[in-house]
Amino acid sequence: MRRALVVLALAMLPNAAGAQSSQFGVRGLGYPGRALAVRAIGTGGAFGLVDPESSQNPAALAGVQNLTAAFTIAQGFRNVENPAGTASLRGTRFPQLMVAGPVRPFPVVVGLSFSNYTSRDFSLATSSTIDLRGVPVNVSDTLSSRGGLNDFRIAGSYRFGTQWAVGGGFHIISGSNRLTSTRIFDDPNLLSSRQRSELSFTGVGVSLGVTRQFGPTFSVSAVARSDGHVNMDRDSARIGSIDLPYSAGLGLRWRPSPRLDLAGQALVRTWSGANSDLLALGGTGAKNTIEAALGAEYTPDPRRPSRRPIRIGAHYATLPFPLLPGEQGREIGVSAGSGLRFAQQRAGLDLALEHVWRSEGAYSENGFILSLGILVRP
Amino acid sequence: MKWGIGALLAVITIAGCQEKLTAPADCPALCPGGQPQVFDEIFPAISGADSSYVGYVQPHQAPALLVSDGLEGFEERGLVRFLARETTVTVRDTARAYTIDSVALSFTLVARDTTQTGLQLLLYRIPPSIDSSTTFAAVASAFAPENILASVDVPDTLNTGTLRTVFQGADLSRVEIPAADSGRLALGIRIASPVPTGVRVGALAGGAGPTFTTYARLDIPDTGTANLRTISLGTGFGTYVSEVPQVVDTTLLAVGGNPSARAMLRFNLPSRIRDSATIVRATLELTPVTPITGLPTDLARLSSRAVLADVGAKSPLSPVVGIRGQFPPPADTLEIGSTTVNLEAVRLVEFWLGAAGGPTSLVLSLAPEAASFTRPVFYSTRAADPAVRPRLRISYLLEFPFETP
Repeated sequence: MRRALVVLALAMLPNAAGAQSSQFGVRGLGYPGRALAVRAIGTGGAFGLVDPESSQNPAALAGVQNLTAAFTIAQGFRNVENPAGTASLRGTRFPQLMVAGPVRPFPVVVGLSFSNYTSRDFSLATSSTIDLRGVPVNVSDTLSSRGGLNDFRIAGSYRFGTQWAVGGGFHIISGSNRLTSTRIFDDPNLLSSRQRSELSFTGVGVSLGVTRQFGPTFSVSAVARSDGHVNMDRDSARIGSIDLPYSAGLGLRWRPSPRLDLAGQALVRTWSGANSDLLALGGTGAKNTIEAALGAEYTPDPRRPSRRPIRIGAHYATLPFPLLPGEQGREIGVSAGSGLRFAQQRAGLDLALEHVWRSEGAYSENGFILSLGILVRP
Repeated sequence: MKWGIGALLAVITIAGCQEKLTAPADCPALCPGGQPQVFDEIFPAISGADSSYVGYVQPHQAPALLVSDGLEGFEERGLVRFLARETTVTVRDTARAYTIDSVALSFTLVARDTTQTGLQLLLYRIPPSIDSSTTFAAVASAFAPENILASVDVPDTLNTGTLRTVFQGADLSRVEIPAADSGRLALGIRIASPVPTGVRVGALAGGAGPTFTTYARLDIPDTGTANLRTISLGTGFGTYVSEVPQVVDTTLLAVGGNPSARAMLRFNLPSRIRDSATIVRATLELTPVTPITGLPTDLARLSSRAVLADVGAKSPLSPVVGIRGQFPPPADTLEIGSTTVNLEAVRLVEFWLGAAGGPTSLVLSLAPEAASFTRPVFYSTRAADPAVRPRLRISYLLEFPFETP
């Protein structure tokens, strides 16, 4: 019990959750997170709806057999290209944290998770020349944002026999964008300017999920989620609200042999519901998104499935917040990973390496994301 | 395997220590909220609310004595009275008379025009009755050739430092102090130069007043060193007088002079600036009535100080400026011949900003006060030509319109 409380306390620590930073997170609410644990990332996200350590489907919690805590660290290395130039960037994020455990003797599992919902971490630099008092002055501007939206989920699942599992989750969506605009003049007579603003968001959502096992080798998972809307405050003053999407997802899992596990899934989010709100606030709007993933996990030793499995996968996604009106960004990623368990299966590490390509017109970026998952079963 | 995992964790940790998130931005796609806009606006001083006030520092309170020979078209002379010299020296509880071997007069040269050569200080004996009310005319007769005590050559290589002249032997009679003067020696100081110029001589208020040193021998039956005495006397009073008394025109803004004047200006900043603007530059623009004059190579500094409470001439001044009071008041040198004076005062304007900001007033003063040959006089808001009235030019940014979101 004491161990469980320690794990729970760790999970409740203030968390700088965030997915990868991206220039495609400059607009709207930012770059959307995927709520995946490292095992699912290694398969391109294909196991997201059936992975109990991920936060996409509350019904997947039924797969948790012991009190489990999972923590994800992601290190991203990106090359950004746009009409203004190129840059090599890097950043560290903690996009996923989960604690879950069974409630014995019932076929119930409850869990808490803390996921990145959107990330709005960026620093954008420009330089130009302005005319001030009749004299041309070189200026350097930097607009930066730190923060994003986080998704704190309280969820539970219930297993009906060996075939059905259902789950429900309550989501608290909150976060902030700490924005800073800096202008530096190439003239010692002019002081630099630094202005700050903070946007804060709060909202709630619910999710329902189901998993159906068809025989020993095939299962289907589905999820539906409504996130309502987020209220938005600017420097503590309410300025409006933005509709968040409805989400629906379907996942298939097939185990053709004891060594091979295949999965595929698709998720649709109705981000266009936020379009009018964002346009009214001066943004570039929002579009519906689709995310599809295929992946596989190969287990060299079926008797020891947790001993260095090989995971591969790929995903395709469209991005909700265009940089330019009428456009829509997209992302393609391929990934691979593995993991191991030790200390009598009480601890484990998962590793995933993902290569992503994102583009929208003349704007593109590609990079590698190295994710490390730490699993503890006290 | 364990080592491999440890190494991997270490690599991730080290690599993640330093983030690099700054990317080039292509506007408008990657510039949510647009780009900062700088506005430049001129705020004239409040009409009729600017004034000069005179009398802050009197010539006898000045840190230096002004001595000139027509630099500004008229002459200025220094007047010094030393402390009284006693006629006896007490040794072993006995007042003893002494015999003077020699006398030295020392002066500190604070500043001069280093481009001029052949300067001389002319020392005159003047009546010791001088005081703060003494005028140029009142002592003019004392500056007669028969009263000259010495002429001290100012070495061409000496920019600042001590000048000293010694009287001994027959010359001692020239510095003899009559009994009627009660031991007080008073000197008048003029300058002689091939061309009109001036010097600043250290004064009592500046801690560098002239000194009067007497080297004496006591009349005691002792052949040791005890019978040798040095009587060193500092300045008891020092001032300077101008051939042309200062006249203040109330329709103009005088700064400096003797007695010193300060100018007070008041401005009316709109709330959009006081409450939410970020000031990047603020320039106080003043137009002198005549080009700035003074001693070349010894430039005065114009200082602008914030007012803690605006109660007119006696307004308490803030020793610091800036939003958090972390900067000294803005000041700049006044170049000789300038026809406009622009004083960068952004930190002072910052002092006015926000709910806790001070009154939007400022006070101009000159440094050194009452001890500079530069005496700027600026047009006030009463000038007929609006272009020459004092004004504040502010470059500022309004609150950045961060895109929401």
